[in-house]
Amino acid sequence: MTTAEPLLYAQSLRYRYGETLALDRVSLEVPPGFFALLGPNGAGKSTLVGLLATLLAPQEGEAWVLGHSVRQHPRRVRQLLGLVFQEPSLDERLTVYENLSFHALIYGMGFGHARRIAQVLELVELAEWAQAPVRALSRGMKRRLELGRAILHRPRLLLLDEPTTGLDVQSRRRIWDYLRALQGEGVSLLLTTHQLEEAEQADQVAILDRGRLIEQGRPEELKRRHGAARILLSLADEALAEQLLREQGGYREGERIGFETAQPQEFLARFMPQHGGAVRHLEVRYPSLEDVFLKLTGRALRDEGPDGRQALLAFAQKGGEHTR
Amino acid sequence: MVYFLQVLYAVWSRELKRSLRESGQLMGAFSRPLLWVLVFGVGLSPFFRTGLRETSFLVPFTYVQFIFPAVAVLNIMYPAVQAAVSLIYDREFGFFREVLASPAARPAVFLGKLLGGASLALLQGLLVLLLAPFVDVPMPWGVFLACFFPMLLIALAFTALGLIIASRIQSFEGFGVFANTLILPVYFLASSIFPLDPSLTVEQQQQIFPPWLVFLVRINPLTYAIDVLRGASIGFQQFDPLTGWLVLGLSTLGLVGWAYYEFNRR
Repeated sequence: MTTAEPLLYAQSLRYRYGETLALDRVSLEVPPGFFALLGPNGAGKSTLVGLLATLLAPQEGEAWVLGHSVRQHPRRVRQLLGLVFQEPSLDERLTVYENLSFHALIYGMGFGHARRIAQVLELVELAEWAQAPVRALSRGMKRRLELGRAILHRPRLLLLDEPTTGLDVQSRRRIWDYLRALQGEGVSLLLTTHQLEEAEQADQVAILDRGRLIEQGRPEELKRRHGAARILLSLADEALAEQLLREQGGYREGERIGFETAQPQEFLARFMPQHGGAVRHLEVRYPSLEDVFLKLTGRALRDEGPDGRQALLAFAQKGGEHTR
Repeated sequence: MVYFLQVLYAVWSRELKRSLRESGQLMGAFSRPLLWVLVFGVGLSPFFRTGLRETSFLVPFTYVQFIFPAVAVLNIMYPAVQAAVSLIYDREFGFFREVLASPAARPAVFLGKLLGGASLALLQGLLVLLLAPFVDVPMPWGVFLACFFPMLLIALAFTALGLIIASRIQSFEGFGVFANTLILPVYFLASSIFPLDPSLTVEQQQQIFPPWLVFLVRINPLTYAIDVLRGASIGFQQFDPLTGWLVLGLSTLGLVGWAYYEFNRR
């Protein structure tokens, strides 16, 4: 996937909101393909996307999208990008078709856009809904429509800011199917997420924490660099277990014993011929990006509580106080 | 240039589609002028030529005729300021991001928004002119055209005013309060529903009306806008026509410029 020309190149981007430093000298090179920006809430992901999409002007540093500077040619950059925002941004009172038609006009596609719209609606499976007002659509369908809208003007790079947040598992999977289909058509993706499962699927992952870019690479590479695999064994022979723990320096996890190793295959190649007969159950746990994140930041990604606004939203969705 | 016009068209037509689908607004557009013409106009007509009027100046028209142009202006003002609600709505519900993140030129977006709101306002103002035959205001094409231009300017001015308020105010609630405390006084203090007698000097007016009232009416730009429209529709003007056009033209220009500045600031 990786070719010579970077799709996107950022150099020492810095951005602060008043006293808060949201991005601290972030430099980034995004090759064509699927790139994930992983980090907890408040890490600066949306700010970075805002800068790349030229919605915010960099206070320091510079970025280029396909060689076009975000400072000097923001309109050219905008033409090359497709955007899916974190918050919904459809006109609920217009129909599905009208929303797309509006997009086509403001992206300079002119009036001959009916065919392209039909094509996109086909792709995100909303063709039968073309004349329905957007407010009649479910949440997942709205997201699909936003995705379709973002690719309408055939952007080279799609920026997605937490595109699956707040969706149920089924809708989420569907969005992913479309994203894969798009990749097949040669559209590159840059996606921000705080979900590891999403980042795992990327060609490249960059980890952002507290405004700093702390690591970047292929997911397997990161795991190899920063995490060790664990082998969990359940043995029939308790004495053997004791002995192994002493010799190999493992640990106990309930009934089982575990060993950390960077080379699980080699470990097993040595272990199995000797003690294979005593093994009742065996599990190899490869390091996840979660482990990588934990190692790099000292904090777990999942433990992050929802931020205030999300908490309020969740509360409101339950119907607030009155319904209890 | 073509692209500019396409963006303008997209934004303009969206404003129209959204509003025309909102039945509540359309109801208001019909019921408001009817209410004014029927209840105020017909109800107050008998009082118009009695009392102090006999001693000063004999007005050659009925009260309904007098307030008719002002009712048209009222029907322009409401929807024009409504255009601002659409801007707040866009901001609140995220649609604005779609527009602001696009390569579309800002001036085109602004003009689309302004003309969209103004078109709707003008349409509703013109709707009132349909009532003309029923209130004895003859409306041949010449008169209609003479009314059209001041109405267009008034629509632009108030849409611009609405956009300014919307840029300055953060929430729907705040907007409602602001709009009501601004619109109604401005309207009532524009010699819309009572004349300042043209045959009287300022000193004489101040003997009939309290001085503060005369002062407020005279400094209100809308007074002159309504006056121009009244001149066009029933041939009666309390002030110098040239002054009227000047005030109307300059206020419109000023408000549109200010609105553009506010729009670009964010």
